[in-house]
Formats: sequence, C-alpha cells, structure tokens
Amino acid sequence: MTLTSDSFDFVADLVRRRSAIQLERGKEYLVESRLAPLAREAGIGVDEYVRRVRFARREADYEEVVEALTTNETSWFRDAAPFDALRTHVVPAFASERGRIDRLRLWSAACSTGQEAYSIVMTLTDVLPGTPVEVLATDLSTQVLERGRAGRYSQLEVNRGLPAAMLVRHLQRSGAEWKVSDTIQRAVTFARHNLLDAAPAGAPFDVVFLRNVLIYFDLPTKRAILERVRRVLRPDGFLILGAAESTLGIDDDWDRIPVARGSVYRPVSRVSPAQTSPFIHSGSLPLGGTSAFPIIPRQGAHR
Amino acid sequence: MSATAVDQMYSIAEQVFSAMVDGDVGPLQPWIGEVPAIVDPIVGWVDTHGGWTGRAAMTTSRPVAYDLTRALLRMDAHEEVGMEDLVDAYGELVNVVGGNFKALLPASGTLGLPSVANCLPEVVWAVPMEGLDLAWRGHLIIVSIWMFG
Amino acid sequence: MKALVIDDSRTMRRIVGALLEPLGFEVHQAGDGQEALDLLDDGLEVDLACIDWNMPVMDGIEFVTRVRSNPDRRQITLMMVTTESETRQIVRALAAGAHEYLIKPFTPESIRDKLELLGLLGSEEPA
Repeated sequence: MTLTSDSFDFVADLVRRRSAIQLERGKEYLVESRLAPLAREAGIGVDEYVRRVRFARREADYEEVVEALTTNETSWFRDAAPFDALRTHVVPAFASERGRIDRLRLWSAACSTGQEAYSIVMTLTDVLPGTPVEVLATDLSTQVLERGRAGRYSQLEVNRGLPAAMLVRHLQRSGAEWKVSDTIQRAVTFARHNLLDAAPAGAPFDVVFLRNVLIYFDLPTKRAILERVRRVLRPDGFLILGAAESTLGIDDDWDRIPVARGSVYRPVSRVSPAQTSPFIHSGSLPLGGTSAFPIIPRQGAHR
Repeated sequence: MSATAVDQMYSIAEQVFSAMVDGDVGPLQPWIGEVPAIVDPIVGWVDTHGGWTGRAAMTTSRPVAYDLTRALLRMDAHEEVGMEDLVDAYGELVNVVGGNFKALLPASGTLGLPSVANCLPEVVWAVPMEGLDLAWRGHLIIVSIWMFG
Repeated sequence: MKALVIDDSRTMRRIVGALLEPLGFEVHQAGDGQEALDLLDDGLEVDLACIDWNMPVMDGIEFVTRVRSNPDRRQITLMMVTTESETRQIVRALAAGAHEYLIKPFTPESIRDKLELLGLLGSEEPA
C-alpha cells in the first residue's frame, strides 16, 4: 500500500512546521519506512494510519509522527526554558526559602540517552559551584540507559542544542565521538524504571523533570503518575513538565508558576518552608500493579 | 591498517552522509567483497598543513558524483547538474568528511580548500595511511588518507 | 529577520539558506569574509551571520574579529558553521567573538536548536 500524495503532504507539512525538516516529494519512501512501525502497531497500512492521525487530531499522534520522521537524536538543553527556569527561579527559590542549599537531588524521568540529565548537572555546576548535585536518570529502555551511562555522543548529537561554551568545557573529543567529563558523569545515576510502577528509590527529590511523557497517557494514568511524583518530591520541590504539558485539568494539587517563557509546578499543600521536615518516602505505594496498565509506548525514544 | 581508525572513519562518513546527503542512515554501507576499478572516476581531496601534513581523498565514478550532487542540493532524480555545481558540491562533501577526519589526528594542522579533478595529482613522498571502501546506494566510493612524508 | 550566509561553497550556502528561510529569515550570501564585510559596508543590516572557517581571501575568524571590533555591528549574532571540530578551534572561535559554533555536518534540527539557544527563533508553532 503506497502513500497518497495527500497523506504525504500532510506529514511533510506537520514535520516542517515542528522541526524545520523539509520532506520534498521523492521522500515518500522515507515517510513510509519511518511510519511503518506505528502503522503496524495499529494493525493498518501507512496511508490508513496517516488518515486516522489527520482525523483524530491528537497531540500524541502528531508527536509520534514527528518523532518518527526526525532522526532519533535527543537535544541537550531541549526547549532551553526549563534550564533557564532552573537557574533563574528554582535555585534562587531554594536559596531564599531554605537559607542555604547543602545538596540537590533531581530526577530526570524518561531520560532517554541522558542529555537532559547531563544538561541539568551542567546548569547547576554553573549556578551552584561546589554544591553536591545528584541526578537520577530513569527510562524504560535498557538500551538508551546504557548509552546514557557511557556518556559518549556523536558529532551530530553534540550539535543538538549544546551551547559551544558548554561543549568545550564539559566534553572531550574522543575519536569520532565526544565524551562527557568524569565530573559531570559521576553526578548522574542511570536506572531502569517504568512510570507506571511505584516511584524509584532515591526520594525525596528537590526537582523532578517529567517532560513530554504525560501526553502519551490517558487521564487516569496521568493523574496517577502526577500523584506518585508529588509523593517523592520534597514539599517545597519543583516539577518541570514539557512545553505543551500542564497539570491543569489533571491534578489540582499543583501550583503553576510562570517562569522564563514556560512554567514550573509546586505542590499546593506545601507548608511554610521553615517548618519543612525532611520528607520520608514510604517505599510502597498502594497503586494498582503494572499489569493493570498498558506498556508505555516508546517511552525511551522521546527526548 | 588499524581497525579502530577505519571504524572511526566509517562512523564519520556515515554521519556526514546521513546529515547532508540522505537525511537518514541506511543508504551508506561498508563495501562488501572485491573492490572493482572505478570507471570514469572523479576525485575530490583536501589537504592539511602544519602539525600533521597529509590529504583526505574521496573517489567515485562520475555518474555517482552527479547523483550525490542532486541529493545534496535536493534536486530531482533527472534534473540537469552543471559542472560548477558538481565540482562545488562534491568538493564540499569531501571538505566536511576530511575536516572531521582531521579531528582524529594527534597533531591537527590547518585545513586547506577542497579540489576536484579526474584523478588525484601525484605527491612525492605521499604514503597511503588508511582506506575505506563504501557502498552508497550500492555504488562504490573509496575514501583514502595519505601522509606527506 | 535577516541572515548572511558566508561560505565559499555555494552548495553549503544553498543548504544553510534553505534551512533558514522557513524559519523566517531573509537570506543573503557571501563567498568569503571580505565579500561579507563589503556587503555590511554597503549598508546591509543583518541579525545573524553563519560563517564558514576556511575560505579564500578572508577566513571566518578574521571576519568575526573585524565585526566584533566594530561597535556599530554589535547587533549581529555570529555563528560559525564549519567542519573544524577540535576543541582548540572552537575555543579560538569563541575567544575571537563568535556567539555559537555549529559543526558540519549538521541536521536541520541542529540549526533550529542553535537559533533557539541564541534567542533568534520566532515562536512559529503550528496551530
């Protein structure tokens, strides 16, 4: 089954608007081969799949199509705004509310090949030199975790959103690749974790990055995930979501704070920071087992 | 020839072709089997001076170079390609491959400007260092590195 | 916004130009640093210059140095787009005054990422 020109034009337009990648006529083979797995998953042909996506107008479908058509490279300081927020709002808030910042623990959920986790460490190294920073980076895919743990990236990968000044400071050329410096690498721990399961060990966290993941789930699942995140986040901690995501309409227990062209979220019920005692995570959460939920679709590929 | 160096050269060539020529990995593969002589060849090369002195060259047949040019310039399969475009596009492809090879060298020098001709001009004392045989859409492309003694 | 793409390869000028245009740039071209300076001297005002390193007549580093030494040209964001990919070369370009550095080969997304870092990307989000 071949792609009609109508379907091709729709995909080309979608991809062009969201990634600046131009898919000219003649690239039909590329669209077909990249969308084939998604179509297969849906049990239909590629053209039928594209028509369904057009009809359904769902954000998650659009993201999947664009992701499939753009090479699977992950950006470093993806969207820039969350890292600006970390520097200009989150750290200053901790500093003023807590008096001093002894150490920071962060969770990079659905971390893919690790660029987000390393970008967090690079950012905090700049604003809080000398302060111990630990990032737990989790993903469903052991394959991407292994790549993240190795800390080695191709030329094309370091071209993706890593400022040149950060590149020369925090990575060294190693043959055809670039390797993250030992100092940065040591601050990140990679572990396998499914967002549908109980939260990973290592709580409480000061900041949780959970970006471009919620869009793949239905409302009850989104709510369950946000609730689990709230339990492992310090009461005065911050949640950072993807640019197109929000807690609004899903879970009312979050305050949305507009910051640096985006937003960050804090638990509503937080008490005055001065009275905050160290948060203790119970370890077991009374939520349904994994079997009640479908497997997360392609979690590892979305960063 | 060191396997590591050839692997790194292959990795660089794959990145250059996927980013600039094809938009995806796949069309460029290692050449398997006997390497035939290239009929109607075209060769592009770029030299480095100071530090490490040598040359990176890329040879293929003329029709393949025309196809590479069309791919680089996002032209249709049968669109006419002028000689100037061919020389410029093929030269730039060699420049990007060669420039990235330079970063593999222990003492990197200064990159010159790329040249394109029917055959590689002879350089006295040029010693072949590494070679990489590639298949682009099934057509042979030979990449070679020479050290000037 | 206006961009000046400076590269001795017209192939590369075309590739970079074709990526910048859909992002809202009016694209101008020059074949080397001197030609680019002449265009600026003739009154061309640009927001962004994408600069190759190795070029005849005047190379990219010399162009960057000249532009940065002229206070009237402070509004131009300078991004090297070059095959030079060793750490020492990147450091040299940044020290000369380049704001960003993109290594060839690059993908369309990587240009977009760099422009976002530089704050030069209009929010052209789909409806």
